[in-house]
Amino acid sequence: MSLHADVSATFSADGAESFHVDAEFEVERGESLVILGPSGSGKTLLLETVAGFHPHEGPVTLDGQRVSDTPPEKRDFGFVFQDYALFPHMTVRKNVDFGSRYHDDTRDAAELLAELGVGDLTDRYPPTLSGGEQQRVALARALAVRPEVMLLDEPLAALDVPTRQSLRDDLADVLADATAVYVTHNRTTARALADRIAVMNDGQVVQIGTADEIFHRPASPMVARFTGSNVIDLDDAPSIRSALDTPTDGIVTIRPEAVAFGDSGDVRATVERIVREDASSRVTFAVDDVTVEAFADRAPAVGTEVWLTLPEDEVHVCRAAAPAAD
Amino acid sequence: MATRTETRFSLDGVGRVPLAVAFLVVQVLAFVAAYTVGRPTWYAFFMIGSTAVTAYAVHGDSFVVAAATMGSILMVALGLPLFLFVARQQPAIVVEKAFNPDVHRMLYLGVYGPLLAAIVSLVFGVPLAHLLSEGFAGQPLVESLVDLPLVVPHSVAGIIILFGFGKGGAFPNISVLGTMIGMVLAMTFVSAPYAVNATREAFESIDDRLEYASRIHGASRWDTFRRVTAPLAVRGMVTGGVLAWARAVSEFGAVAVVAYSVSFFYPPAGGEVTAQHAPVFVYGTYLQGGLAESGAVAFILLGVSALIFLLVRYLTSDSTTTGGVV
Repeated sequence: MSLHADVSATFSADGAESFHVDAEFEVERGESLVILGPSGSGKTLLLETVAGFHPHEGPVTLDGQRVSDTPPEKRDFGFVFQDYALFPHMTVRKNVDFGSRYHDDTRDAAELLAELGVGDLTDRYPPTLSGGEQQRVALARALAVRPEVMLLDEPLAALDVPTRQSLRDDLADVLADATAVYVTHNRTTARALADRIAVMNDGQVVQIGTADEIFHRPASPMVARFTGSNVIDLDDAPSIRSALDTPTDGIVTIRPEAVAFGDSGDVRATVERIVREDASSRVTFAVDDVTVEAFADRAPAVGTEVWLTLPEDEVHVCRAAAPAAD
Repeated sequence: MATRTETRFSLDGVGRVPLAVAFLVVQVLAFVAAYTVGRPTWYAFFMIGSTAVTAYAVHGDSFVVAAATMGSILMVALGLPLFLFVARQQPAIVVEKAFNPDVHRMLYLGVYGPLLAAIVSLVFGVPLAHLLSEGFAGQPLVESLVDLPLVVPHSVAGIIILFGFGKGGAFPNISVLGTMIGMVLAMTFVSAPYAVNATREAFESIDDRLEYASRIHGASRWDTFRRVTAPLAVRGMVTGGVLAWARAVSEFGAVAVVAYSVSFFYPPAGGEVTAQHAPVFVYGTYLQGGLAESGAVAFILLGVSALIFLLVRYLTSDSTTTGGVV
């Protein structure tokens, strides 16, 4: 079943400026769309609006059938919340079985829990479970009603790293054939789970495309920065501009994993900072008035002068310079 | 590193409960001694001094000692009259009153009438509390109206009820003056804010996402209230009901104005009897029989009130609010 949403909604809270969400996206049958964006960009509000939790304008359609005026319980969605939202007064089994009385065709709770690796928790109460266990139960509750579309709101955000990785692998299996909209601010998760990614900022979808398109050909400096690309204003980096075979102006982006360095290359740079990450180091180089990041297994010392290689085909012109005024 | 607390007095070694029991026993002995020699004032100073010394022995912290000393002065103001009231009772009169049929009727009416008021407050207050927890246009106005009885002198509340529902009021066919309906109405007027506010706080403490989770997995608003919201707020409702009941038990002003004496069905008599609400009865006894007789009735009433108080404490204690589950 495909989902199309073109919704507009305004949210206001005491003491805060009202926030406007105005976004459109489409998810094909069996496709996982990840909505990626910084905190406060309106991702969760968009997902909740599509689910029918908030009044909105504009259509939400399932296979062309308009469901905008349908209450949430009739929309045939499954929803997984960031903070699990399990019913604390019900056992795990009753949580998973919650929707069974409202749906004709539901999955067996015990079987589903066993598949998700929490089959021994059926008689426990949610507050006695770890975060990872609770989220697996929440996933089971959503899957139990065999929803046409799964909506997932940062289900991994509250989990520690090992649990997150383990559950992400399981989610990849679960979402492989499902129609799903998955909200996250984590680009690694987005890349791992997405068939397509919609980047959201300030209540609007600013770019939508495959992971490769989003990560390698960002539509704006904001998208490039948020997805971890180097964003280089060539006005501030003349040595990079002159190193490019095809001279250009404006702002270009390049993935840090595409940047190589050594004793020879295109651009002279100085190591400014080294941050050790899981498997490698993230090295920040100073080039003219800009910085460029790259990954390295062995990083040279801070202050070392090296040569950077920026493969021309990896350099993406993100925003061309405005034509000079006559 | 050892803290100052540990070096002075090991709470772990003695335990909180034995320490509290020992403190209480010493207080009782000191009061009995002071009362026996006819110097209750000495006990007041002993209580303040012993609290300060105990606070120093346990914490050795000037802030805690100052707070405990100031607090004990208030405890003297609240507790000493109570201790003296109990100590100065004449057992013969108390026993006589305890077997007095008029007192039995008073106690029956003093529990039954407030129970009706608490039920009315909850039946109509819970839906209002739910609306208030969700918010709506004009909410501040409704909130003010709900809280109004808290600031209106209660004799004034009685007069307001007579204007509203008495002769020439909104329902001229319903008699409120000197009737059970009038008494329950007066009690409801003063106690409903407790039921509404306690229940509202319980609703507000429930995460919206639990209701979202219920709706999206198939439950209608009614079912969501029945299966999720109400069970999670039930302790707040019970607490609100008990508070409303306790408030109605202690109501004097409004009841005295609207229904000084009321006729009601009294099961032990198998028919209608006329009696007065407990505080009104105590006041009447004081005017007619003096301090000793009214004191004995008040003593019995105090026992009932203490039971209600203990019930409220039990219902609002941490162990019961979590229910061992949540």
